[in-house]
Amino acid sequence: MVQAEENKEVLTEQSPIIELRNIDKYFGEHHVLKGISLTVKKGEVVVVIGPSGSGKSTLCRTINRLETIDSGEIIIDGVPMPGEGRKLAQLRAQIGMVFQSFNLFAHKNILDNVIMAPVEVLHMPKQQAKEEALQLLKRVGVESQAAKVPAQLSGGQQQRVAIARALAMHPKAILFDEPTSALDPEMINEVLDVMTELAAEGMTMVVVTHEMNFARRVADRIIFMDDGSILEENTPEEFFEHPKTQRAQDFLNSIKEH
Amino acid sequence: MSVQELLAEYGDKYVLALLTTWKLTALAFSAAFVIGIVVTVMRVSPVKPLRVAGDFYVQIFRNIPGAALLIVLVYALPYLNVVLSYFTCVLTATALIPAAFCSEYLMAGMNTIALGQIEAARALGMNFSQMIRLIVIPQALRSSVLPMTNLLVATMLTTALASQVPLNPTDLTGIVAHINTHAVGGVTAFLISAVLYCATAVVIGQIGNLIDRKARILR
Ligand SMILES: Nc1ncnc2c1ncn2[C@@H]1O[C@H](COP(=O)(O)OP(=O)(O)OP(=O)(O)O)[C@@H](O)[C@H]1O
Ligand SMILES: [Mg+2]
Repeated sequence: MVQAEENKEVLTEQSPIIELRNIDKYFGEHHVLKGISLTVKKGEVVVVIGPSGSGKSTLCRTINRLETIDSGEIIIDGVPMPGEGRKLAQLRAQIGMVFQSFNLFAHKNILDNVIMAPVEVLHMPKQQAKEEALQLLKRVGVESQAAKVPAQLSGGQQQRVAIARALAMHPKAILFDEPTSALDPEMINEVLDVMTELAAEGMTMVVVTHEMNFARRVADRIIFMDDGSILEENTPEEFFEHPKTQRAQDFLNSIKEH
Repeated sequence: MSVQELLAEYGDKYVLALLTTWKLTALAFSAAFVIGIVVTVMRVSPVKPLRVAGDFYVQIFRNIPGAALLIVLVYALPYLNVVLSYFTCVLTATALIPAAFCSEYLMAGMNTIALGQIEAARALGMNFSQMIRLIVIPQALRSSVLPMTNLLVATMLTTALASQVPLNPTDLTGIVAHINTHAVGGVTAFLISAVLYCATAVVIGQIGNLIDRKARILR
């Protein structure tokens, strides 16, 4: 009886926001994702690490199908994600994405960058979108830049705007692909701080990063990838203190040397 | 005849001719612009037949002489029971050709858009038409103001085709032919038209520069 209650709890409260089942992905002959399965629950922060070329970005981009897949299933909050069409766009709109290179719309000012998708895709009234956008810009600390265009902002500011742009869609989760790798060192923390806050507020996040301190502090779970496979999946404590595979030990040693 | 004599006798007609040239230029360029955008959207659309049709359009109209197109419109279309007024024929010829170039300039403008912005738009849930309307075309337009300015001038020069058909009032080139059949205007008659063409082109160029400065995308 108690057991049944608990199971029900698990099913309703912890149904995954993101579920990948047996994803295979090839670039030509090159097998880049090899039967990847991954589940991300609501409020979870999953940090993906691994050597260059191991498929981290591809995995991240596969979640909202910016990359096509060759087999497997992607399920967003219980709904299977199709390969194309209106349904795909709808599901994508529920998953935010933050890129290494910010990718703000160069011809629009900061405020318009943030309100564009809510107005056009979610059909939010413009006034409401503006109010929310200003709130979000304030939250990430760039409200004074609202009237400028992206090129007038520093990299750190642009990346915080990109986070605000993703948040404006009220996403169920946000994917980050090396969000600080293109930044000057002094700007890395201003972006990581925003991400840390988001995590604390319960945002579901998948983060590809080389920032090991961030991973240690913020991750609920570490995914270690190598050569297209997930080799280890563990809590940060366990992973960093007792990596199980030789590959993970080598990887951790190699970054310690830097 | 001297410039003074010509202007005294034909001044009013020159004004009308200038207005005709302006009118043809404005109408033809507006049409070319709209057609150019439509053709460009076709060329980048996910639907293969549309892409092929768009490319085909550009290949045809980029490579056909204006005079040949005008002859087709004036002499061949009536066989298909399509009889257009002379004005419409000139307008059509001077719109269809620049439209092909307009599309080429837009395609070049699109190449300046970072692929990442397209991905960001897709990740935000935008569909193809939203991406085209909100990101691609606006940026392509902003980065092609100067070529478009040149295209506007080229379109104006192409409207001289109007001189090949009977039009009343005629255009800046037609007026020269008109004067030279009624009097001996000689090169001077053409000189006046040339000055008016040049002056218009200079004004267009200045306005183009102004718009370019305002529209240019900071990167
Ligand atoms: N568009 C592409 N076409 C062909 N091969 C690609 C493409 N994108 C990535 N690859 C290859 O797929 C593999 C995985 O790339 P991916 O970018 O996912 O690695 P990564 O783990 O993100 O690496 P990094 O840490 O350098 O960003 C690499 O071998 C890469 O060369
Ligand atoms: Mg990567």
